[in-house]
Amino acid sequence: MQLRYVFTELRSGLRRNLSMHLAVVLTLFVSLTLAGCGLLLQRQADKTAETLGNELQILVNLCVADDPSESPNCSAGEVTKPQLQEIERALNDSPEVDSFEFQTKEEGYEKAKEIYSPEVFEGSDPVITVDDWPAQYWVTLKDPKEADGVISAVSGLDGVSGIKDQREALSQIFGIMTALKYGSWVGAGFLLFAALLLVANTIRLAAMARRREIGIMRLVGASTLYIALPFLLEALVTAAIGVGLTAGALAAFMHWGIGGLEGTIQFLPWIDWTDYVESLIGLVPPGIALIGPALTLIPTLLLTRKYIKV
Amino acid sequence: MIRFEKVTKNYPGPGKPALDQVTVDIDKGEFVYLVGQSGSGKSTALRLVLRELRPTSGRVYVAGKEINRMAGWKVPRLRRQVGTVFQDFRLLPNKTVTENVAFALQVIGKSRREINKVVPETLEVVGLKDKATRMPDELSGGEQQRVAIARAFVNRPMILIADEPTGNLDPQTSVGIMNLLEEINQRGTTVVMATHDHGLVDQFRKRVVELDHGRVVRDEAAGSYGFQH
Ligand SMILES: Nc1ncnc2c1ncn2[C@@H]1O[C@H](COP(=O)(O)OP(=O)(O)O)[C@@H](O)[C@H]1O
Ligand SMILES: [Mg+2]
Repeated sequence: MQLRYVFTELRSGLRRNLSMHLAVVLTLFVSLTLAGCGLLLQRQADKTAETLGNELQILVNLCVADDPSESPNCSAGEVTKPQLQEIERALNDSPEVDSFEFQTKEEGYEKAKEIYSPEVFEGSDPVITVDDWPAQYWVTLKDPKEADGVISAVSGLDGVSGIKDQREALSQIFGIMTALKYGSWVGAGFLLFAALLLVANTIRLAAMARRREIGIMRLVGASTLYIALPFLLEALVTAAIGVGLTAGALAAFMHWGIGGLEGTIQFLPWIDWTDYVESLIGLVPPGIALIGPALTLIPTLLLTRKYIKV
Repeated sequence: MIRFEKVTKNYPGPGKPALDQVTVDIDKGEFVYLVGQSGSGKSTALRLVLRELRPTSGRVYVAGKEINRMAGWKVPRLRRQVGTVFQDFRLLPNKTVTENVAFALQVIGKSRREINKVVPETLEVVGLKDKATRMPDELSGGEQQRVAIARAFVNRPMILIADEPTGNLDPQTSVGIMNLLEEINQRGTTVVMATHDHGLVDQFRKRVVELDHGRVVRDEAAGSYGFQH
């Protein structure tokens, strides 16, 4: 098959409708970027839920000597063996508690070193010492929403300086992620619809401009595929450019956006480049390298069937 | 080569059928005029041969095949065997004479070598060898119609269909076009020409099929145009 005509037509078609194609590419670019952000946020939420969501915990802080909380529970100084037994009994008795673990102040101190900047641990009079760090019970709940009973049962006990409830922070994080995710998807949806209309219009204009050629091609017996090929290639080229720009924008988002967050918010497991690649070329849910071409090719196929019907 | 069996064609909407129980049989190598007043159904009959239209009832055979039952993907193959010429030439204005003729071969996938061989040959047949690089708007009407005939003939079709090919031309130029169509016919291509040009039909005597309101009212070998006009 001689494809010279097809490529000549492709080139002149792209040039003839440059502003239209540019509009398609830009709309595709923005909408696919939003969709890609939505996909990445989904993965971020999944990842967070996998590591933190399943073990939603409340932490029971235990008194240290000279406890900064100045809680009356700490009047006896550092928590004692009998107090610990009392607390464990309360935890065991609570129907809301699935399990709990004791974390010594040394273990807590080591974890803190990973989160806080090193200078607070250094010098002759460091800000944080082992003795400043409370020992803790890490309590895993049966139902992440049910904790009032165990909190009231434990918080009044001697040796308990306070309860650290992470659920609130995490539910905030999930809330933000969900809002952003749906926001991107809704925005992407509107823009993808706009892209679809633009594609349809571009094809209509191109079919008009080529009406004479198409008429002759049909008359002399060119196959439908051959007649449609320049249209399909045009659609593919605009989609490829749109997807390429989107891949770049999302890569920038991964590098600077996620890279920056990783430095500041360390208690979250952040998405990495594997997730990026999956959002680009994944099958389920479809990555943007699938969505983009589908968005331009499907209307092109449908409309060329209509406009160049043999 | 072409056979209509009780072909009726109704266009959507009210009104009488454009073709009404038309039965015609055209053999290989014949030259047939299709005459009749404007609106008598000539163009409809020709478009049925190309399967641009399908009959409402009856059968249309081309080269032994019933084309209204042909699968859609085979239609391009049918059209490669049927050259078509119109009153309005339908050339591509931004292509030269050679390019216009070559276009018909390019889009059906012929090789460049074959195109380079056949196109000049065909331009020679239609007498436009020395105008090969002209643009259509640099040609007279008769010359433009010759280009259109070259494009229709370049793939050496079994059938050439011409719908009022001289409708836009003066009588003298029309005679030249008729001579060309006769020559193509003598090379073995079946020619069907719709016309209402009395002079030509009377001058170049051929078989005449006359339509009136979609019905065949006359089918005469070597006939004249008729008396009523
Ligand atoms: N596309 C169409 N839609 C509706 N009616 C049509 C169409 N084409 C032709 N006709 C009608 O069919 C009849 C035959 O038309 P046509 O075949 O073009 O005649 P001719 O070529 O002999 O002038 C006319 O009455 C015409 O109005
Ligand atoms: Mg007509």
